[in-house]
Amino acid sequence: MLDHKLVIVSGKGGVGKSAVSVALALRAQRAGKQVLVAALTDEVGTAIHFGADRLGYQPALFHGDIEAMAVDRGAALDEYLHVQLRVPRAAPTKTLVRAMQVLVDTAPGIREVISMGKPIFDTWAGRHDLVIVDAPPLGQLMSYLRAPEVVAKLVPTGAIKDQAGRMARELADSERSALVLVTTPEELPALETAQALAELAAEPVIKVAAVIANRVLPELDIDPARLAAVDARPATEAAFHHIGLLEEQHAALEMLPVDTSLPYLFGVHTPSEVAALLADAWEDAL
Amino acid sequence: MSQARIIIVTGAGGVGKTTLSAAIGAALARRGIRTLVLTVDPARRLADALGISLNDGGTNRPTPVPGLPGLDAVMIDVTASWEAITRRHSDPDVADRLVDNPYFRAIADRFPAAQSYAAGEQVAEFAQSGAWELVVVDTPPAAGGLDFFTAPRRMRDLVGGRLLRWLTGAHIPGRRLLYRATARPMLRLTDMVLGSALLEEIAEFLLDLRALYDGLSARAADIDRLLSGSDVYVATTDAPGPVREANRFFVHLPDVDVRPSALIFNRSLPERWITARGPKGNARQDQALRENLRRWAVEARRNRDARVAMAARLQIPMATVPWLRHPPNSVTELADLVSQSEGLENVLDR
Repeated sequence: MLDHKLVIVSGKGGVGKSAVSVALALRAQRAGKQVLVAALTDEVGTAIHFGADRLGYQPALFHGDIEAMAVDRGAALDEYLHVQLRVPRAAPTKTLVRAMQVLVDTAPGIREVISMGKPIFDTWAGRHDLVIVDAPPLGQLMSYLRAPEVVAKLVPTGAIKDQAGRMARELADSERSALVLVTTPEELPALETAQALAELAAEPVIKVAAVIANRVLPELDIDPARLAAVDARPATEAAFHHIGLLEEQHAALEMLPVDTSLPYLFGVHTPSEVAALLADAWEDAL
Repeated sequence: MSQARIIIVTGAGGVGKTTLSAAIGAALARRGIRTLVLTVDPARRLADALGISLNDGGTNRPTPVPGLPGLDAVMIDVTASWEAITRRHSDPDVADRLVDNPYFRAIADRFPAAQSYAAGEQVAEFAQSGAWELVVVDTPPAAGGLDFFTAPRRMRDLVGGRLLRWLTGAHIPGRRLLYRATARPMLRLTDMVLGSALLEEIAEFLLDLRALYDGLSARAADIDRLLSGSDVYVATTDAPGPVREANRFFVHLPDVDVRPSALIFNRSLPERWITARGPKGNARQDQALRENLRRWAVEARRNRDARVAMAARLQIPMATVPWLRHPPNSVTELADLVSQSEGLENVLDR
């Protein structure tokens, strides 16, 4: 997975995809890679796993040499126009930017192309060995992944059309780009992940490199049938609670081809501790 | 016509909004209140409990929930609703043109304000139909749920033609004015980047969309009023993401004149676990029980601390719903969830 140029991390909201994105960055750093993490929609979620409050459009350094940034739509649009589409700086860009801002709210795919464009351009710039995208949740993922193709088809002419075509080919390049799906071992996230896998199989806009199950509970060496005899209410309650969760976990994991399981972290941890613990657990699991 | 009470359950994804909405609806229906539960994307177990078929997609047609007279449930399909809205607010030929337009489909599918607006219009329709005394709304997950409350305003902006106004300088531009406008030199650059054909297509689409303006803006104002008169409950768990999201609701909802009236803390763990002792004895099972209790005692403490911290910060009525070993899978179990909770009945009684 670390040998790609671009890894996109997504999952249902709340499953810990930001934590996993940062854990992946830590692993890549340990493997000697120069890494950039780009937060596409949940800037704060990514930031806190680096122990920061916010991220800016200008990458900031964490843990030494990991770069992290947030894709701000205005700034991405500006860079897109001037750097990618080579619109001269002297042009009356205020008008253009304003027109584009209204258009991105209206025309399908353009907003996503501009947001997705930023990390893709960064892989082309070649300053990093790996660009990790902390992507929008599953509900919006397909519209982001499809956007370059949609725009390339829908827009009749113009510079955006050519650019979008190039982006679509980059995503589809299985040597360079990959998707990592994060789920928890719960019914709904697993179902949504299975649906996303089916959609991606039917419409292979990007290769799925791994399905990561996060917050996987340890198995319990207790026979529920023998619990009635135990005279310690809270202990049996906690055991039944755990066993109930394990039942859901088993059913959820059966739905998915899980590559790596990351543990449920009991107790109080700061988000940056969570990211570090997951990175360790990930190494151990391999 | 009598207007139903509206309860809106909002919060981050994965905190159990759909379960809580269904539980509230079931509990109040059991007290004899004619109730409709409106959901967007239920898990299979809940859909089964509510007698909703997931295979039909959203039908927008409320059906009785088996086993609990007085309770109806509906799963709404936002794409169909958006089409219905268009047909309601425009002439048939304009509506046909709009519905067939690729931008229309794109907007209906993924412009989150449109989905949320469509849901809002459905809520208004059901609440004003006189068929129910209570409508419980499970907010759509798009854009974190806040979107549901800002959608009426944003839709008015969209069909009000922010782009058109800017292109033409006129409040309600005609077609001819539009073409003169797109020929303006300042737009040549936009043409170069986007292609003039796209610009014209979008403008055409927006012109048609303009036809919805009068009907839609009156309705949007109506929905705005309904939403700010609703009981809004913010649901959360002890997880940091949902807690952040819940705080965001309390900060931003007042911007759209919505004031949450309660916080529902879902999946709470028993406080007695925090200090409890496990079984004595050295059998393997005793050891396993002790270790498991130790782990969950730590979780129960974290859970309680998160609850106490939120209560202190928000100063708002709070209900605590236990983390059940098995999620409710019948309408009776759903209704029971309310009596098993602490404070939820008081919140519902206001």
